Amino acid sequence: MPEMTYLQAISDGLREEMRADESVFCLGEDIGAFGGAFKVTDGFVEEFGADRVWDTPLAENAIVGTAVGAAVEGLRPVCEMQFADFISCGFDQLVNVAAKMHYRQGLAVPMVVRLPSGGGFSGGPFHSQNPEAWFMQAPGLKVVAPSTPEDAKGLLSAAIRDPNPVCFMEHKHLYRRAKGDVPEGRYTASMGEVGVAREGTDLTVIAYGAMVPVALEATDDIGGASVEVIDLRTLVPLDRDGILESVRKTSKVVVLHEATRSCGVGAEVAALIAEEAFEDLDGPVVRVTAPDSPIPFSPPLERAVLPQVDDVKEACRELLAY
Amino acid sequence: MAMTSARPAALPATDAEPALALDRADRSALLRFMLLMRATEERALTLYRQGKVPGSYYDGRGQEATCVGTAFALGPRDRACVLHRDMGAHLVRGVRPGRILAQMMGREGGVTRGRDGNMHFGDRELGCVGMVSMLPDMMLVACGMALAFQMRREPRVAMTWFGDGSTANGQWHEAMNVAGVRKLPIVFVLENNQFAYSTPNDLEFAVDPVERAATYGFPGVKVDGNDVEAVFEAAAEATERARMGGGPTLIECATMRMHGHGAHDDMRYVPAEMFEAWSKRDPIETYSARLKSDGFDVDAIEQSVVEELERDTEWALAQPMPDPATAADGVFAKADPQLGDGAAPWSRWATVQQEGDR
Amino acid sequence: MSSSPTSALTDVVMPQMGVSVAEGTIVEWHKRVGDWVERDEVIVEISTDKVETEVPSPESGRVSEILVEVGTTVDVGTVLARLDAGARPGEPHVEESTVDSRQSTVAPPVTPVVRRMVAEHDLDISKIPGTGRNGRVTKKDVVAFMKEWGERPAEPVLHTESPYVEAEPLSTVDRRLSTEPGVPLSPMRRSIADHMVRSLQTAAHCTTVVEADMSAVEAARGTLSYLPFVARAAIAALREYPQLNATLEGDRLHVHDEVNLGIAVALGDDGLIVPVVKDAHELSHEGLATRIADLAERARSKRLTPDETKGGTFTITNPGRYGALLATPIINQPQVAILDLEAVVKRPVVVGDAIAIRPMTYLCMSWDHRALDGVLAARFLSSVRAHLEGWNG
Repeated sequence: MPEMTYLQAISDGLREEMRADESVFCLGEDIGAFGGAFKVTDGFVEEFGADRVWDTPLAENAIVGTAVGAAVEGLRPVCEMQFADFISCGFDQLVNVAAKMHYRQGLAVPMVVRLPSGGGFSGGPFHSQNPEAWFMQAPGLKVVAPSTPEDAKGLLSAAIRDPNPVCFMEHKHLYRRAKGDVPEGRYTASMGEVGVAREGTDLTVIAYGAMVPVALEATDDIGGASVEVIDLRTLVPLDRDGILESVRKTSKVVVLHEATRSCGVGAEVAALIAEEAFEDLDGPVVRVTAPDSPIPFSPPLERAVLPQVDDVKEACRELLAY
Repeated sequence: MAMTSARPAALPATDAEPALALDRADRSALLRFMLLMRATEERALTLYRQGKVPGSYYDGRGQEATCVGTAFALGPRDRACVLHRDMGAHLVRGVRPGRILAQMMGREGGVTRGRDGNMHFGDRELGCVGMVSMLPDMMLVACGMALAFQMRREPRVAMTWFGDGSTANGQWHEAMNVAGVRKLPIVFVLENNQFAYSTPNDLEFAVDPVERAATYGFPGVKVDGNDVEAVFEAAAEATERARMGGGPTLIECATMRMHGHGAHDDMRYVPAEMFEAWSKRDPIETYSARLKSDGFDVDAIEQSVVEELERDTEWALAQPMPDPATAADGVFAKADPQLGDGAAPWSRWATVQQEGDR
Repeated sequence: MSSSPTSALTDVVMPQMGVSVAEGTIVEWHKRVGDWVERDEVIVEISTDKVETEVPSPESGRVSEILVEVGTTVDVGTVLARLDAGARPGEPHVEESTVDSRQSTVAPPVTPVVRRMVAEHDLDISKIPGTGRNGRVTKKDVVAFMKEWGERPAEPVLHTESPYVEAEPLSTVDRRLSTEPGVPLSPMRRSIADHMVRSLQTAAHCTTVVEADMSAVEAARGTLSYLPFVARAAIAALREYPQLNATLEGDRLHVHDEVNLGIAVALGDDGLIVPVVKDAHELSHEGLATRIADLAERARSKRLTPDETKGGTFTITNPGRYGALLATPIINQPQVAILDLEAVVKRPVVVGDAIAIRPMTYLCMSWDHRALDGVLAARFLSSVRAHLEGWNG
């Protein structure tokens, strides 16, 4: 199996799908001649032509809205938001049109919105957000968040194959930092299942996206404790059984995400655990998250806001000692 | 029962005959502000290459005449929503280069004190509202400020800048429409610098945006965005019209972005001949030559800019980084907003500043 | 805090041209050992992730060492060269040094095997770092290049990648909680702490020290302490150099007509407070002595009014009687200077051409380099010394 970066894997997955299925096409800003802000579609317009790799005007609602129309007509559009943050400019089409279409009319909308999300590079408040919780609040949208190159390729393929609108959270911090073996050719991974990044018995850290490697690093050598790290991989639909299985095994849970605290994925997971596994808990469910603030630009401020390895270590140590 | 829609009453006429001319000091100031913008941006790019600027770096090289010429028309009580290639507008309104450099380096002395980066700032004490990345959201915010002036019957104007890419966005149309329907006292400055990141005009729109202004109910004018006096003339006329209750104007300044979208952009998509042609029309070179031939001491102006940059760079480099303990502070306000007045260096405003409150 | 001139060598380091990038390669030195380089002038060209960039010099100076040769790949942060920033510009170096032997204006030759491999694999030779003589691309270099990059084109720099290199933090306060509980600071202590930290973060602190012969004061003082004499001398000097009798807020400097002299008073374990002698310029040294004693007594018995700690334009602190010789006091914001009177100690000094025993003291003044420069600080202190040494009642 070839080794690829997370970025290369996304590119590879998209290319394989476009080669295999003519109905798949890409739309977004600067994705044609420029190859995309993050070069995911570098070389695509040369291979697939300008019709299937559309350099759109600066108009997110137009991008998402036209994707809905193309999808209900049988095409499979893959939209690129230049930064996840810009989804706010296309929010109406996403949550009101795409998300509710099947519920109201039985009409499927097989589309993908790729969302380069997350911070850690001084992008400031408008280039660093992790908006997945917004999508979890709009029933009808699926949300995936890969943390490895293999999953990046596999879950993108799964998203494209899915007949529903899927938000694909690709974390920018992982683009060139996450490297791994990736299956060649067309490869689809399973949506809706957690992955066990490391098995353990004393405590579970539940994370997704760029926080999975942070969780692994923080709990690698933590006073001899055996810490299980669960990679959620899919946020909607959430793998409740996978989560609860790990909770019942270790009885102590830290939920970790880079997104801000209130009403985040962590809140949902913590509530789920409290409701369904109360009698298996040997300590409170702890969340490690960014505080409720915009993501600042200056490095010392940004570091103080985004969860660091030490923050996770501290939370785990405290819970282990409970 | 018939519903009558509220139409804003005509604004009171101003006492003095507005003199829309530039005196010698004004012309000197126009060149100085353009030089100051170029010098500050070059210094910032050097700091970026020296590893002192976190994140990305954007500049408006080649577009100095557009932002300086338009901002120069503003009076102290007017308000501005400045965009990332318009550093000259900030400078005209009174923001010091040192604070801009500190802003880019994420320091405590920067305008946002490290909370936002690069050109995402506005000094509220000088009547500037800072931009967001989503474009052209600020057009509607500027419409809102113009609405306040209209409701309070004040002879004040809002000005907002945006690019060719923005004209494809829904918010552009909403702003144009709202401004036209309410005849808001607003000036829309469209900086057509030929590319939205890598996207050229012909992939962005099918009809010239200037022509579309008429369909929203107000005039659109085209100017050479690299001729600072032509830009100023158009802006002075438009702000006057707005101030007198004549409603909005769209001014398209045709110019060219001589650097990439950001420092990370190698501009591979710009045709070489196009770049060459625009290089010959540098707004600072052409205006310097013009002022020299009109007997101005351009060297002295340039020297004063060099000195100002030296002082301001030293100051900026000495600013500390912000305290991490304050990272999540200031999310909520504790008091009502206070937008101050900007500097208004155009000689027309000199007497107003002496009389009125600033 | 005292400032030291940049006598140490300045490092030129390998910058990080991309967040995911860990190393870089020297492409070309624009300066040789012994050359003068201006600040911001391009000193070296590097290639990281195959993006080539010019690196501007961080300081002006003479290149005293070049540590990494053309074609070598080193980690980000590695020192590439050293500059002597204290040197003066002069002639550039004429002879070639051994380090420079690789600098050549003639393009190195391309050997047959390299030419064949480059053609076969459709490579761009200009992107391959050469480790052979004169920067020649060797067969080994081609093999290594292909191993690392295959035949794909160079990776472009992403929007999110920045050359930013985090420097030593500039006096930020690290408030990460420690794991020990500890004793919480008293409100006064916390207030002092905040003020001190803020002062260090706001002002550009420099300290200048002048030595004064206190014999004349000694003869005149009787039962009074040295402090009122130093206060009087300082006030006289402030009349000559009013720029030190000033407050700086943001970038607005206010030079004051009146001298409101703050005198630091120690309050034992509780900390210290700085009551202000208003209109101190109107007082003789005796008047100052009386006022200072009164303020200090009321400070210790907590009977100061809030007004009595406000409006200071210059501050003097005098911890010297405990024997300390030198200190670098922290400026009392928003003033621009603070004078520290240290211990007066009998020492052998040279007077004329003979050695005499004199009561000597160090007058240490910390001042804000934003508002003034070293020359002014030194002249002010010289004036204070002159007034003290020439004391005649």
